[in-house]
Amino acid sequence: MVERKEIEHLGDLVKVDLSEPEKYIKQVEQILNYFDRLDKVEFPSDDTLRTQITTDGLRDDVYEPYGDSLIGHLKKDQNNFIRAPKMV
Amino acid sequence: MNLGISAVEFVSQAKEGVISVEEFVAKTLDRIKKVDEKIHAFITVDAQNALDKARTIDKKIKSKEKIGSCFGMPLSIKDNICTEGIKTTCASKMLENFVAPYDATVISRLKLEDAIIIGKANLDEFAMGSTTEFSYFGPTRNPWNLEYVPGGSSGGSGASVAAYECLASLGSDTGGSVRSPASFCSVVGLKPTYGLISRYGLVSYANSIEQVGPIAKTVEDVAFLLNIISGHDPHDNTTANNGYVDYVQDLKHGISGKKIGIISQMIGEGVDKEVASATNTAISKLQNLGAECIPISLDAIEHSVAAYYTIASAEASSNLARYDNLRYGFDFGIEGYEFKAFVSKARSNFGPEVTRRMLLGAFVLSAGYYGKYYLKAQKVRAMIKAQLDEAFKKVDYLISPTMPILPFKVGEKIDDPLKLYLTDINTITANLSGIPAISVPFSMSSSGLPIGIQLFANSFKEKELLQAAHVLQETSNLPEISL
Amino acid sequence: MTKIGLEIHCQLTKLASKLFCSCKAEYRNLEPNSNICPVCAGLPGSLPLLNKKAVEKATMISLALGCTIPEKIGFFRKNYFYPDLPKNFQITQYNAYGPTSIGSDGKIEIEGKTIRIRRIQLEEDPGRLVYEGTSEKTMITLIDYNRAGTPLVEIVTEPDFETPKQVRVFLNVLADLVENIGVSDPYLEGAMRVDGNISEGDGNRVEIKNVGSFRDIEKALHFEITRQQSLVERGITVQAETRHWDEARRITVSARSKEEEQDYRYLPEADIPIVLIEHHSIEQIKMQMPESIVARRERYVKKYGLPPQVSDVLSSDKFYSDLFDKAHNEKNAKEVSNIITTDLMGFADTREKKLELKITPKHITDLADSIMTNKLTRNSGKTALQEMVKTGKSLADVISSLDLGHVSDVGSIEKIIDEVFKEEEKAVSEAKQNPDTINYLVGKVMKKTKGKADPTTTLGILRKKLSA
Repeated sequence: MVERKEIEHLGDLVKVDLSEPEKYIKQVEQILNYFDRLDKVEFPSDDTLRTQITTDGLRDDVYEPYGDSLIGHLKKDQNNFIRAPKMV
Repeated sequence: MNLGISAVEFVSQAKEGVISVEEFVAKTLDRIKKVDEKIHAFITVDAQNALDKARTIDKKIKSKEKIGSCFGMPLSIKDNICTEGIKTTCASKMLENFVAPYDATVISRLKLEDAIIIGKANLDEFAMGSTTEFSYFGPTRNPWNLEYVPGGSSGGSGASVAAYECLASLGSDTGGSVRSPASFCSVVGLKPTYGLISRYGLVSYANSIEQVGPIAKTVEDVAFLLNIISGHDPHDNTTANNGYVDYVQDLKHGISGKKIGIISQMIGEGVDKEVASATNTAISKLQNLGAECIPISLDAIEHSVAAYYTIASAEASSNLARYDNLRYGFDFGIEGYEFKAFVSKARSNFGPEVTRRMLLGAFVLSAGYYGKYYLKAQKVRAMIKAQLDEAFKKVDYLISPTMPILPFKVGEKIDDPLKLYLTDINTITANLSGIPAISVPFSMSSSGLPIGIQLFANSFKEKELLQAAHVLQETSNLPEISL
Repeated sequence: MTKIGLEIHCQLTKLASKLFCSCKAEYRNLEPNSNICPVCAGLPGSLPLLNKKAVEKATMISLALGCTIPEKIGFFRKNYFYPDLPKNFQITQYNAYGPTSIGSDGKIEIEGKTIRIRRIQLEEDPGRLVYEGTSEKTMITLIDYNRAGTPLVEIVTEPDFETPKQVRVFLNVLADLVENIGVSDPYLEGAMRVDGNISEGDGNRVEIKNVGSFRDIEKALHFEITRQQSLVERGITVQAETRHWDEARRITVSARSKEEEQDYRYLPEADIPIVLIEHHSIEQIKMQMPESIVARRERYVKKYGLPPQVSDVLSSDKFYSDLFDKAHNEKNAKEVSNIITTDLMGFADTREKKLELKITPKHITDLADSIMTNKLTRNSGKTALQEMVKTGKSLADVISSLDLGHVSDVGSIEKIIDEVFKEEEKAVSEAKQNPDTINYLVGKVMKKTKGKADPTTTLGILRKKLSA
């Protein structure tokens, strides 16, 4: 069972105000119940699928300034700081 | 001037001076003006720049200067692929004004070959959906019947190609988002092997499984575009470095002597009768052309929908965290807010499907649940891949209907997310395992709705996959769209 | 019993570029948000590109701290919303689902005590926040992302420390170590930051964050231990919590928690493939690594027979051990180590003073040789050293300008002794009775010669004259 409190906690984690949490409770619960079928799977191995790279394929440590002034494309104040609300 | 020609035909006609690029682009823009009010395939149309670019290319053709291989072909681009100077909204209020300061790698490669970006195509918000109904800017309609959904999430791409509003398009495919609209709109759509095409500039939704994919009228066009956009990219560490392959060459190689596996789990229960019958017709046509078809059972597919939505929602909840409206986003002042309240308020502008998936994602990643959901989903991926590897020891290709059902009406399934998720059953296998899959338009239902057939090949076997798709395309006889 | 564990964030300041993009790793003294790109500013569509050298440097630290390096390393996202994180997650490493961080299970000996290293992980630094406004209404946060994405190595120890002093000694050794192997300049502002966790007995664990400097961590730990002990004495349970060090008030204060560990929703970072750390690349890194502090210390003890304490002090300081290695030879090693550890380190007991020293290896070699061949007394040697480090002049110049030349000819010493005998009649007769008081007369001779008389010669002549 997914409860209102739980949905609200999830909303808090992903930072979304849920004006109507009830709307999501039933759907999320229904989908999670469907996911529960994963519990019944017998896995032949613990392998997972990930891409791999050798260290040779990694980026060389070279400083290259970003050509364009990126801050010009973002919200900013007159001193080029990005503004955020107070943290409390 | 026929806007219904293929991209490859356009190139040869433009090269020979049979058509003027400017005229073709202008005609295409007229067409958009005429039909897109009804279809709503586009979020943004970049008319002026498209025309300017077309003129420049015409001049180059006349003066016999070097021209890129696209010769100014007008393309639509799914609006979750970054284009410098043109808005990239992801069909979301959160990015309604966002202009990326850079081109995605696929875009810069296309521009280098003188392709023209005519506009940005509609999608489900952040590519989450399979009907293109979940767009902040409103749904896209199926050009074959405006009451029906075009598939999704690359519905704008599929519809714009089908309705002759462009010559081809780029979509993205996380769980079938290129193949579903290709099938529903009667065009060709390819989901390439994970790592074949750069994701740099593709706005992430579920980054471990998604790829950019071409959508076009013909298999040749898809091969042509793949030649341009595929290959290792130093900006994306997940791209493979497997040398250059020419997908156009030997495209008509045929299918004689090849083996095709019919995936039992994708053609039985729950498949629409007309879809099943079309698939059987396709199989017998391929047999007639020299292929041997045998049934193949992949029982891991039973777990694929649960695994797919676990992974996709988990990754979505993390990938979409950056949209907090501080650095970019819609106009919304910070004054009077505390940080958490501000961010939560701003983010309440995500649509319901995105919100649902973020909540689900947060749940499956919660402490204590990782082993129950995400880790198991990852193991399902490996299990599916292992079964596919076994299958590809016996056969060269796998076949199934692209979608188990016919296109349905707008609004019909919007309120039942799980039911909608289950229609992805045939497409998500390719995403979870990383292998390539293509949807080829094959026939029309009795009610005049398109049916697509899906072919799979093993990882990085796109060349062989396109060869088989080409055979399938040649066996079909489809009507012209009337719009 | 007090148990203290540490989490040390060490910036890889010797790199040219950030951890996942080509912006500059050095973010200090730049205009706000002038060192950013789509990757480190978290723009849609950008992808992280792992810095090869950062992996190498983190491998070096792991090797130097005796860690196991896995065959494959992986990255995770730690999800939480904070304005200094442009993506609202931090790319880091995480071992809860199997060891995939660059190092794990290491250890280091500090003054005979073993400190176990739980893991070493590579991660990105967040941006910097500046708080503006005075009243509740006008308060806002200003963000500068120049630092966002710069490479950090986090070193997590087991709770093996028992006292704040052990912590300080460890941190000094660690700072010397990262400097020694060339991965970081630990004395740059913000280059090394320490969080601590403390528990008393079986009590709850308290995390201390936000400590600005090494000196403060010792103070913060002291404060926290006292706080916890007094709670225990009064029968109050210590709450498991995160506390911040309030530098101005010199106390720890309960921090309103951001997100707690269970809410971070760790997720594998699929944009960075699993990195295969091949055996040969580790071997290559080992070859590039300067001699470790432990190996250096061993060499000093075994090869030159230096006392363990002297070897400890010398080997853990890169500046002085480099000086030693350049100045010594087979014969003078002990004398050179003596000069460095007793005299030179005394003059330069802070980093600033150390940087001002105008000393070269030749100064030390010459000085040691002069003392060993009796051309200079230890005392004069110290005076000469003091002058050399100040002026950088050669030993010969310093000896002649300060008149430090050794007096060892019998004639001149006898003359001086005669003078002393005249002035100190009482002491002379006393010394004749009781030979143990002879040192007083030696001292007088030294005073007259400003310490230049050879002590052995002086003593010989004195004994002869007294017994005559």
